[in-house]
Amino acid sequence: MSSEKKNAITCQNVWQVFGPDPDQALKAALDQHETADEAAAALRASGHIPAVQDANFQVKEGELFVIMGLSGSGKSTLIRCISHLLHATHGKILIDDENIVSASEKRLIELRRNKLGMVFQHFGLFPHMTVVDNVAYPLRVQGMRKSERLAKAREVIELVGLKGREDYFPRELSGGQRQRVGIARSLVADCSVWFLDEPFSALDPLIRRQLQDEFLQIQEKLKTTIVFITHDINEALKLADRIAIMRDGKVVQIGTPSEIVLNPVDDYVREFSKDVAKGQHAKLHSMMQTGPGLVYGADDPGLRTDMTIDEALARCMSLYEPVPVHGEDGAVVGVVNPAELAAALQVEHS
Amino acid sequence: MIASMTTGTKAAALAVIVGALCLLLEGAAPWLSTYPATWVLPLTDWVGSVVGGFLAVVKPFARLFSDFMSYPMDWAKIGLNAAPWPLLLGIVLALGWRTGGWPMLLMAAIGMALVLVSGYWEQGMNTLALVAVSVPLALLIGAGIGILANEIPRLREPVQMVLDVMQTVPTFAYLTPLLVLFGFGPVVGLVASAIYAAPPMARNVLLGLQRIEPEIKEAAIMAGGTRRQQLFQVELPAAMTQIMVGVNQCLMAALSMVIIAAVIGGFNDIGWEVLLTMRKGWFGQSLMAGMVIVIFAILIDRMSGMLAQERKPQFDRRISWGLVVLGAVIGVATLGKLGNTADYAMLEPVTKQVDAGLTAFTTANAEWLTSFKNNALFYVLLPLRIGLDQAVLPFTWGFMWTPQMSLGLFGLAALLAVGLMASGRVLAGLVVLILFGILETGVSQLPWPFALVAAGGLAWSAGGRKLAILIVALLASILLAGLWERALLSLYLSGVSVFACALIGGLIGLLSAVFPMVWKVVRPICDMLQTIPLFVFLIPILMVFQIGEFSAFLAIIAYAIVPMIRYTRQGLVETPDEMIEGAIASGATKWQMLFHIRAPYAAPTILLGLNQTILYAFAMLVIAALIGTTGLGQSIYLALNQADVGLGLSAGAAMAILAFGADRIVQGFAEGRRRALGL
Repeated sequence: MSSEKKNAITCQNVWQVFGPDPDQALKAALDQHETADEAAAALRASGHIPAVQDANFQVKEGELFVIMGLSGSGKSTLIRCISHLLHATHGKILIDDENIVSASEKRLIELRRNKLGMVFQHFGLFPHMTVVDNVAYPLRVQGMRKSERLAKAREVIELVGLKGREDYFPRELSGGQRQRVGIARSLVADCSVWFLDEPFSALDPLIRRQLQDEFLQIQEKLKTTIVFITHDINEALKLADRIAIMRDGKVVQIGTPSEIVLNPVDDYVREFSKDVAKGQHAKLHSMMQTGPGLVYGADDPGLRTDMTIDEALARCMSLYEPVPVHGEDGAVVGVVNPAELAAALQVEHS
Repeated sequence: MIASMTTGTKAAALAVIVGALCLLLEGAAPWLSTYPATWVLPLTDWVGSVVGGFLAVVKPFARLFSDFMSYPMDWAKIGLNAAPWPLLLGIVLALGWRTGGWPMLLMAAIGMALVLVSGYWEQGMNTLALVAVSVPLALLIGAGIGILANEIPRLREPVQMVLDVMQTVPTFAYLTPLLVLFGFGPVVGLVASAIYAAPPMARNVLLGLQRIEPEIKEAAIMAGGTRRQQLFQVELPAAMTQIMVGVNQCLMAALSMVIIAAVIGGFNDIGWEVLLTMRKGWFGQSLMAGMVIVIFAILIDRMSGMLAQERKPQFDRRISWGLVVLGAVIGVATLGKLGNTADYAMLEPVTKQVDAGLTAFTTANAEWLTSFKNNALFYVLLPLRIGLDQAVLPFTWGFMWTPQMSLGLFGLAALLAVGLMASGRVLAGLVVLILFGILETGVSQLPWPFALVAAGGLAWSAGGRKLAILIVALLASILLAGLWERALLSLYLSGVSVFACALIGGLIGLLSAVFPMVWKVVRPICDMLQTIPLFVFLIPILMVFQIGEFSAFLAIIAYAIVPMIRYTRQGLVETPDEMIEGAIASGATKWQMLFHIRAPYAAPTILLGLNQTILYAFAMLVIAALIGTTGLGQSIYLALNQADVGLGLSAGAAMAILAFGADRIVQGFAEGRRRALGL
């Protein structure tokens, strides 16, 4: 992650509370209690549900940010706060430095037309419109001429691999095809911030993997900022630049896939990564020592920072001394001890 | 011991005590059994003067509206009458083709041909003209209310309540104020039918909008649509199937009401024709006019029903246009040569034959029919109405009821009750006592304190304290208004009918569930009975059994039995497959499965059917007043004839209270069962 990129999305102390009188209850709870946890407990005691508690994070421009959690952890609520389908009870949500929590209805419509796109778990396709009309709808509400918007929609339909199905109705498509329509519709207006709410959860495992791969290819091309919701750790690890893990409305850990797998902050996060083949996800740069005065042995198995632990271990299985790790340009940027690599994989069993 | 009793048992015990006290003190305190006339508040008059005053203020506007509406009505009437029938036929056939292909086209052709040869083409067109003006009005109002309630969540609950009330208030009841407002004439029928037909539209629009998947709404928001774009481009079209159900119900309600409204206006429409011929006793004619109504109802229902289908097949629209053009060409070519449609009455010989056959049948079977009617009256209806103590006379049962017999009856009841309680079924024992008590006094002469306590107790065990208070308060208002005796009479007649419906309908439903062959026969009959406007039910029954309570009883059963059959079957058939497989795996026989698995699972559904049956019975009760019933229905009808707004509204409100109470109590029990089953 390059630090010179600016923040596309910033969440500051975001709360979403449901219940009889969320605004007053949250205000009282925040006034009377020091920590977010205490405030949340007070809210629960008064019959309110703090679905999102004090969320704080930034998403960089072009970053693929995954929010992961079990059902009921508040991840869908959080993404709806950020896309302003729900009005956050408290806090600031900046999209390109503009606080959308206080934006006017008119400004929100503008933002949605020009900047934001969203894909839904159950597709949210309009049943009375054909594929091409569905995809062209975001352009229609802007008042674009019919021939123009249909031409644009056809381009995007081709991009998601649905050429030839333009005049089908959603009910005539398979689940995977429907989600392609959903993706096309969210892309047609050239959004710069893309929200995906469990887009692949309702699909078969095979189709899911295929769509994940295609999704990564699309992202490669478009480089939009993405907030991606999932409950599947493997999906999160495969796609994410960074992952936020949520439990009971709280963001419990934010980190790169390697950090999540190798350094879980608590048992809840550890439980998630238990079934994950760690070596396949953690990259070597998360393990190596850096800094001046690196000491390493004579053997150089040719490790690179972007190798997974599995790959690295395969090369230095028989070595006992620390070995050098090369950066992209070939220079030595760090050192790793093969014994530590093996130990990292076994941390579960110790 | 009292603490350990269930709510139901406590309520029943209280009712038994109050009932027994009322019976014991009957001699000492006659005000217990009959509510004294001096305690009656002139509520009816107050309602009359308040509403009357209000109506007087609104009247000029209403008359203005009436004048205004008379234009589209005249145009529709003149248009439909002036258009040559080949053209109209062509249009109907085109609609038939477009909505349902060959079968619908054929149905439309046969139906319209029958209308033509019945000689009632003109009257039929006049009725259609009313429908054609009232339905767009109702659709607009209904859709407006539905959308408004969807947009403004705070309005939702009050709107739902108003719609509920509008559906329980009997149709005749609001004809009276409309009559005062708009004066005699077809506009009353128009407005009444628009008012009556708007609620189903509003309900379905609201339901359709609320049932849209949330993600579809969210997708429309995220696409950047304004609220208006979201509503009109996404939500309403996505809800179209449900809205079309509303259109279908709206059409049927409008047709039904237009026909009922004939009661107040001689407008040379088909409803008026039925009424007129029925009053004259020309049953062949009235059957013929009734047939025209049924044909319209079936065609309108089936065609608009096709619109509400999820995936409607597409039929070539060129054929439709061809049919219209063909009709127009023939119409123009034969212009002036077709003569008066009234002269087409080719079926006149048939009507005469029906009349003759009917007379022959009733005279030949007079003995049997009379004894059937009298047996039902003497041994079932009368005792339930005025109790064994008055119904058992030498004239009816062949002997006189004596106080000793009453004692014997109560002794038997006590014996049964004690037996039941001894075996642990306290509630059942108490209920037996109550039922025997009612049998002795009769429903229409129940002591009012007992009736209030019993209704309150029922409501309490069905829906809790709030419902109990509400229902007792509402019933007390009937008491205060002095409509109590009439209300009990209505309660008795609808109660008996509902009971008969539950027995017969439940049995038919059970048979339909067990034997698919039975359902194949019963289903089209049910469809038919549900399509026919209320009014038409009266004709065949009147033909055989003449005016009177027994005919009303039969008419109510014929109409109200359908939901009981449908829901019973549906409940029994729709048991989840896993449960059936579980039962089979446990080795249950077909009948064991029925009684141990299907029946308990179906109970909430069957209760809902019973609920519908009750509402249907009340709706028919008012119509049945036309052929002679006592009670509230009669009052409403009388009020209509005398343009007595106070009486009409009060009696209508009392009827609505009875229907509302029964509805809430049964719903409460159904809800309880559903919750117990975890549904």
